[in-house]
Amino acid sequence: MEQFVKLGSDMASLWSKYGGTYMGGIWRTLILASVGTAIGCLIGFLCGIVQTIPVSRNDSVVKKVILKIVQVILRIYVEVFRGTPMILQAVFIFYGLPYFTNNSIQFEGKWLVSILVVSINTGAYMTESMRGGIISVDPGQTEGAMAIGMTHFQTMTSVVLPQAIRNIMPQIGNNFIINVKDTSVMFIIGFTDFFAVHKSVVGATFTYFPSAAIEMIGYLTMTLLASWLLRFLEKRMDGKSDYELVAVDQLTLPAGVYHVNAKKSEKDMNPDERAALQKDAQSRIEDRSGKEAR
Amino acid sequence: MADQNVQAGSPSGQMDGQTSGRTAADAIISVRHLSKSFGKHEVLKDIDFNVFKGDVTTVIGASGSGKSTLLRCINLLETPSSGQILYHGQDVMGRHVDAAGYRSHVGMVFQSFNLFYNKNVLDNCMVGQIRVLKRSKQQAYEEAIKYLGKVGMLPYVKAKPRQLSGGQKQRVAIARALAMNPEVLLFDEPTSALDPEMVGEVLDVMSALAKEGMTMIVVTHEMAFARQVSTQVVYMNDGVICESGTPDQIFGNPQSEKTKDFLARFLKR
Ligand SMILES: Nc1ncnc2c1ncn2[C@@H]1O[C@H](COP(=O)(O)OP(=O)(O)OP(=O)(O)O)[C@@H](O)[C@H]1O
Ligand SMILES: [Mg+2]
Repeated sequence: MEQFVKLGSDMASLWSKYGGTYMGGIWRTLILASVGTAIGCLIGFLCGIVQTIPVSRNDSVVKKVILKIVQVILRIYVEVFRGTPMILQAVFIFYGLPYFTNNSIQFEGKWLVSILVVSINTGAYMTESMRGGIISVDPGQTEGAMAIGMTHFQTMTSVVLPQAIRNIMPQIGNNFIINVKDTSVMFIIGFTDFFAVHKSVVGATFTYFPSAAIEMIGYLTMTLLASWLLRFLEKRMDGKSDYELVAVDQLTLPAGVYHVNAKKSEKDMNPDERAALQKDAQSRIEDRSGKEAR
Repeated sequence: MADQNVQAGSPSGQMDGQTSGRTAADAIISVRHLSKSFGKHEVLKDIDFNVFKGDVTTVIGASGSGKSTLLRCINLLETPSSGQILYHGQDVMGRHVDAAGYRSHVGMVFQSFNLFYNKNVLDNCMVGQIRVLKRSKQQAYEEAIKYLGKVGMLPYVKAKPRQLSGGQKQRVAIARALAMNPEVLLFDEPTSALDPEMVGEVLDVMSALAKEGMTMIVVTHEMAFARQVSTQVVYMNDGVICESGTPDQIFGNPQSEKTKDFLARFLKR
């Protein structure tokens, strides 16, 4: 118990002295993770869409060949950036570009290269997620869209992508949370994220454990908030789980109604629906009897 | 053999019986020497038939005889291996032909409904009109409401497909197809995935459509419906049209042994 009290007071004194530094680290980590995830998702969406473009019989040979080449390049991109550690990718790009361009391309700040690396890395993962999301949308719906004359582009934008993106929302969240934690590897090129703050603070104070505790709480707060935000977004995307029955006055219909024996209604309906239908029917009967009485 | 009888005397692939007097040039859809193979498996062999305005053509036959493949070829969801499909005399498989544009004139209703699960009932019926036919929102809304009303689904305009019963989904799918004002509607076993008590509600809608003069090609196992509603019945067996004619000819007085067998097996069930 005493230890906890001591830990608490150590953390408090650390925070009072270095609170601003920690917050700065949190801020930089959050920005790097969010911007990197956002750009990465964009890259992933685009690449995933390109990976699932079908070729049709009427396409010209040139189009088919170009598409195939692009798809192979994207495939290589995915494999390379999924298959190597991000820390190495950072080094590779930070030192590699100046090396290959005789120093004509150099990175001014750490921000640009950090965001670049996180985005490209996330993009590789999201490409595969997006491809999976697209092919997991029931192909029947694609046929349904084609059967009313929609093109591939129209089908994708109106039917497939909204569902694919909804389906991969959990993976977007996953990637964001992973990025919040893994951006700490950017210390290799001198980016001072939240974890780098820890290292500089303990370098000055030697309070390893209290600082680590602050880090733990800081990271957990970020990731829990992110999870919660994502759940909220998913709920919003799903819309309401019930729906209103719209009362219809048959007289306002522009044309005749086909006679339909919709016998199912009673048992399949929930009580609200049933009540609404009954009310609707009731009001129609009242209308009619009212007219007849006059 | 009676089997050959059907095709004989109709060199341009024109049906005898019902359609005599009309030439293939008047047909909305004319299927000519259509064949389709999946790898080595030849599923359709030299299919020939015409569909004229107002025809209700039912296609019957055993499972695996190629009925769905035939419909899917007509709608170009499947690419025929050889032969032609003419739409008002024009080959729809030509390089210059816009397949999507053609499909917007030839609607299709599927066994599995294939509604858009991210859209509610109303939007399901509007999206094609707006994006394909470039109709205004207001116009699309009015058309959608008109046909949803006809199939008795107006109270459900705000529901999502997953909140509907099978019969309701199928009626929405029919309204979605109708809202595009197609010239021909293809139905691939529209009631096969439905519980028995919901079959009636969908068949009612289809009968009403037929009465209004809608041109339809219907693959079905509902023999009573085929007999009452259709103007032409096509019996398929193993990828070929074995026999075709009016409902009275096919059900009342089938010529081919295979047709007799099929109908007998069917009625026994
Ligand atoms: N995409 C495909 N690839 C390979 N073979 C296929 C494909 N689609 C259909 N077939 C084959 O073609 C044959 C005809 O299938 P089809 O679905 O047209 O039959 P059907 O008459 O509609 O049968 P059912 O009454 O069961 O729906 C079957 O033997 C089937 O295995
Ligand atoms: Mg079938």
